[in-house]
Amino acid sequence: MSAYWRPFFSFNKYSQISARALRNSLKESERLAAEKRGLTGLRYQKWEGGQGGQQTWIDPPESTGSAAKSA
Amino acid sequence: MATLREIELRLKSVRNIEKITKSMKMIASTKLAKAQRAMQNAKTYGQANSGLQKRSSPSGGKKLFVVVSSDRGLCGGIHSSVTKQARRLIADGNQDARVVVLGDKSKSQLVRLAPDNLLLTFNQIGKDVPTFADAAVIADYITKSGAEFDSINIVYNRFVSAISYEAAVVEVANEDALREAPNFKQYEMEEDEFSIANAIYASLMEGHAAEISSKRNAMDNASKNAGDMIGTLQMKYNRGRQAAITNELVDIITGASAL
Repeated sequence: MSAYWRPFFSFNKYSQISARALRNSLKESERLAAEKRGLTGLRYQKWEGGQGGQQTWIDPPESTGSAAKSA
Repeated sequence: MATLREIELRLKSVRNIEKITKSMKMIASTKLAKAQRAMQNAKTYGQANSGLQKRSSPSGGKKLFVVVSSDRGLCGGIHSSVTKQARRLIADGNQDARVVVLGDKSKSQLVRLAPDNLLLTFNQIGKDVPTFADAAVIADYITKSGAEFDSINIVYNRFVSAISYEAAVVEVANEDALREAPNFKQYEMEEDEFSIANAIYASLMEGHAAEISSKRNAMDNASKNAGDMIGTLQMKYNRGRQAAITNELVDIITGASAL
């Protein structure tokens, strides 16, 4: 059972998946605190030749009506 | 010498500013404790990586810079310190190095200084304590971007103490460069992206703690300055008021004596 996942994704992804599984298995009160540690609220922007591309959310927030910034 | 009305208005606005900066300082102080604790926990992630770097001592090559700052202002010289360090490193023989910027403040400075070196930028940083998920996503995008590099140099603000910070660089060598390093045989490692995520996580945490402590100090200084300004303005106001009263008295007395 050694690293059958290797050809599909990196160790990073593997550790994130197992962390998510572990968080979902916690008791309710602990789970709420641990959920926060798995969230990411970043936005990224690709740059080429000094010109920035579109700002895109990595994990889009589901809230409606909040105006997203654009640069 | 301004009129009494102007001094009064100025006094009111400086008093409001003092209240605001004082409350910002309070908020930053409470956040600092939490951020510092989280930073201590995160340091262990970074130490594993730096131990590996020291012992296997890989040679330099093409560099990719990651500049760690944040989106928020009013926190002292945090952003410019990191930007200056990055600019120095780029000018020092790495003119074609790609740069990944975390945080809008540094981004706007670097867009002016080195626009062609930018590869990726991230924002929404600094609102909350950074998580490993953030660092993992950043590492993911860096490796997926296809940029070539032999090592990643992370430029961040090292938390020296609650009142000082300094710009520092931490290096993460790429897989191939590490493999050719002399002492690497002692280690067994295949995870390139994970070590990048580790180093980014440790520097994000330290940068966050440095930013909060710098904000606390900046707001503390601002409140002190505002307090001094209130003192001098108050003196001016009192003197002006007394002068006005004295003038009125003189008018009344001369008027009375003329009758």
